[in-house]
Amino acid sequence: MKTRLILPAFALLCGVPFFTHAAEEQPSANQAIDLTTGEWESVVNIDCSVLVPDYREPWNAGQPSGGSGTGFLIGKNRFLTNAHVVSNATKLVIRTTNDPQPHPARIVFVAHDCDLAIIEAEDGTHFEKLKPLTFGGIPKLNTELIAVGYPIGGDRISVTRGVVSRIDFRPFSHTQVDSHLAIQVDAAINPGNSGGPVLQNGKVVGVAFQGFNGRVAQNVGYIIPVPVIQRFLKDVSDGTYDHYVDIAITDFPIENSAQKKALKVGDDGVGVMVADVEPAGSVGNILKRGDVLLSMDGNPVLNNGLIRFEGELMDMNEVVERKFAGDKLKLAYQRDGKKEEVDVELKRFDPYVKLGSQYNQRPRFLVYAGLVFQPMDRDLMDAHQIHDAAANYLFDNYLTDKLYVERPEPVILTSVLTDEVNTHLAIYAHSVVDEINGMKIKSLKDVKEALAKKDKNESFVVVKLLEKGRPLVLKRDLAEAAHPRIMQTYNITEDAYLGDE
Amino acid sequence: MKISLLSLIALACLSSLHAQGPLRPPEPRQKPTGTIARPQGLPPLQPIINTSSLLKVNVTFQSYNLQIPWQKETSSGRRGLGVVLPNNRVLVTAQMVADATYIELELPDSGQKITAKVQAVDYEANLAVLAPNSPAKEKAFFSALKGMEVDTSARIGDALSVWQTGRVGELIVTPMRISKVMTQGYVVENAAFLVYEATGIIRSEANSFTLPIIKNGKLAALLLRYDSKNQVATLLPAPIIDHFLKDVADGKYEGFPSLGVEFQITLDEQFREYLGLKGDAPGVFINNVMKGGSADKAGVKKGDIMISINGSSIDSRGDYQDPQFGALSVSHIVRGRSFVGDDVEIRVIREGKEIVLKSQLTRKNVEDYLVLPYLFDKGPKYVLSGGLLFQELTRSYLNSFGNEQQGGPILRLQRIANTPDEFEKEGRKKIVFLSAILPTSSTQGYERMNGQVVEEVNGKKITEIADVATALKEPKDGLHIVKLREFPFILHLDALKVEKDNLQLLNGMFRVSELTRLE
Repeated sequence: MKTRLILPAFALLCGVPFFTHAAEEQPSANQAIDLTTGEWESVVNIDCSVLVPDYREPWNAGQPSGGSGTGFLIGKNRFLTNAHVVSNATKLVIRTTNDPQPHPARIVFVAHDCDLAIIEAEDGTHFEKLKPLTFGGIPKLNTELIAVGYPIGGDRISVTRGVVSRIDFRPFSHTQVDSHLAIQVDAAINPGNSGGPVLQNGKVVGVAFQGFNGRVAQNVGYIIPVPVIQRFLKDVSDGTYDHYVDIAITDFPIENSAQKKALKVGDDGVGVMVADVEPAGSVGNILKRGDVLLSMDGNPVLNNGLIRFEGELMDMNEVVERKFAGDKLKLAYQRDGKKEEVDVELKRFDPYVKLGSQYNQRPRFLVYAGLVFQPMDRDLMDAHQIHDAAANYLFDNYLTDKLYVERPEPVILTSVLTDEVNTHLAIYAHSVVDEINGMKIKSLKDVKEALAKKDKNESFVVVKLLEKGRPLVLKRDLAEAAHPRIMQTYNITEDAYLGDE
Repeated sequence: MKISLLSLIALACLSSLHAQGPLRPPEPRQKPTGTIARPQGLPPLQPIINTSSLLKVNVTFQSYNLQIPWQKETSSGRRGLGVVLPNNRVLVTAQMVADATYIELELPDSGQKITAKVQAVDYEANLAVLAPNSPAKEKAFFSALKGMEVDTSARIGDALSVWQTGRVGELIVTPMRISKVMTQGYVVENAAFLVYEATGIIRSEANSFTLPIIKNGKLAALLLRYDSKNQVATLLPAPIIDHFLKDVADGKYEGFPSLGVEFQITLDEQFREYLGLKGDAPGVFINNVMKGGSADKAGVKKGDIMISINGSSIDSRGDYQDPQFGALSVSHIVRGRSFVGDDVEIRVIREGKEIVLKSQLTRKNVEDYLVLPYLFDKGPKYVLSGGLLFQELTRSYLNSFGNEQQGGPILRLQRIANTPDEFEKEGRKKIVFLSAILPTSSTQGYERMNGQVVEEVNGKKITEIADVATALKEPKDGLHIVKLREFPFILHLDALKVEKDNLQLLNGMFRVSELTRLE
């Protein structure tokens, strides 16, 4: 990701609500909003208390913090907001414009990959009389819209106005690794607007969710458009969120005449080169490097990887985006000049998730005789500021060099809680764990199993690290005697948290 | 780490003149008198101070542009001192003459000049011997000069003096005292050598590069680095200078031998017990043996415990007891105290048994590294075709990015440089990679790529840059096919367009002088 997006939420706590009413229709540019009708009551302020997980001391509860965003009623006691507004929440409170009462709330569904969430009031009766907002479509370029919410700059509800500036596939800053369709608007979108509705002709055309830092760009706000919202709503309609599916290939545009000739591509502008295929992805056993992808569901893929979809030229991934786990995708491709067609079943592609930020998860860890083992992911790398060459290489090339195949969940020796038993090992913190007692470590759970294992020389525990000149060895009896002492000294209440079973 | 050739010029320590360290006792015989005016009729000079062995050395240098390899960087100058050796030769550090385009020697007092050339240079040991270019002028120029001897006897605690020359050749003497002796890299990263660390003040003067350090009128060291803040000087010591000069003297320069192992210290009691080391038994754990190195030839294997070299016991820190310097890294026995071709006897413990391994010492030639550790005096090898710029990976190339190497291709290439073994196993002699793609008609669509390692060109495996030049002569069906180790894995180019683009590259806006440099 080249640009740095700010997370617009978590900046503002709202004050006491006041009584306001909204107009029936969204007013035109010169028409004042009448706040007496109660219509705007369904745009709510969400106050969120959070615990930010502590990846350095993973056994701790985390750092208490809080923030505020916006949400809006979309059905019976169902409020749509951004995932980042409610991430890591310990307590949620909904406040409305007309009601002095705070309403405790809880998360119903959260989808971090598209930054959307649905919450409900613990007692929904207050909201029964309110009219939910309804959805429109994708607004046209240069048409006017308004953003409604509770952004920074005051306590009362705020309205800002702008036009649709651009419709494009964009990275979503919440996870830092997911990209979806997003609409760029020049209406002011500020911290606290997050999760708020963006309206055109009285209908929701998007959810405000991110913007640039003011030093980078001005008047650039992004909203999550209706197709992404509806995909989320459809996904959760069966009671669980199944995540996006991914075709998991990397395309390379065909612009070069020699490339056209070699790949036997015609002059009709159709076909993009498949440069890389993830072995664990939906087409891992079907497509190969050097294939030419011709169409998806009969819709031609152009030389630059774009596709005409609902009247707009969009990234070909948009076709996949709209689908769900288990859905079929019809692919036409060309290999060695021969055209092939295949139906593929789409599935989720997990490995990339580790490269992004994750939420609502307790950090996993295992402590053994003061050696702290944790699974590698972005939150961990950031928290520990890891600069070990092998660890950085592994993280940087986890996808590009397909390192996830050999090591689905790399484990890092993040710190050594020093004690006389391990004092010589302190300098090896931040190393990647390769093997323990002769067993290859592919996940944190392997560490537990391997530590119990006895290698050739059973009186020692032997930890091999990646690209370090020597194994770490601990005498098993000394290590086991030291373990409870270290746990007590460093105030650690449990040996390990390996995740929910 | 960027090799800073200019680090010694920044001797901005004028203020340090006031901050006389309390730890530095006065030198008994050579009084730290500061500036002594030489040819005046004032009090006679101390006969001990032999200024007729110093010369000013002025060098103009110009390095190659590592990223645009057909270009050279802006030329610049270095001014330092040289030590006159017998036979009209002059000793300087290698840093002084790296990438030199012009070298001249200057008499400090009269300012008379003569051009010179490099007779021998070793960038690892950071030493060079210069010889005058003109035999006709040589005799007159050197007539008043006297060769200086090298004194290897300095020990920890010894008082030395730094010699500098002032504007008109007057000698400036300042005292120094050796506080520490150890081994470390000089200016390139692949070899560690003996250094003295000395404390004292060095003034900033013109020609402050490579100052001689004197003991009893003889050369005890050359200044390698000076940390003006802490007033600590790192000195390139006489034992290494002596070794270098002896090697040069026999007419065939072979360089400093190396053992070619990586080892781990064994202070950790549990690790010692795991390795079977009893009590305070000596020995270090060998974790890597460089292919073709001295240890490899002797039969040392990964996992051995190395307990002695040439009869000197190696302690758990990897030190031996040097008769002159005390505890010192074992690498000095090989590099500093032996020559290429000398016999070496290594004792190791393998599977609980002590064995004696014997061989002759060798040195790994710079050209034999998968990734050249340094590159001076010649341009990087490259092939430019169509607009694809192929280069051989060198440390110098990686270092040219400074601290910007945060991730992406440079981090990946850096890792290859750090873990050469697996790439050598693939049969590669060098790492050939795409360092840039110039915008031409044949590279349409490929412009924004760089840093991919090249696997194959037109079906031929690439083990070094020359393979690329050969393979590009044989396009198939009018196409060149370049296979890469990273995304996008394959590039196609139109062979006819490549020919046309090559002509334009030579005459066009990129001012490419040659499409290839293979030597």
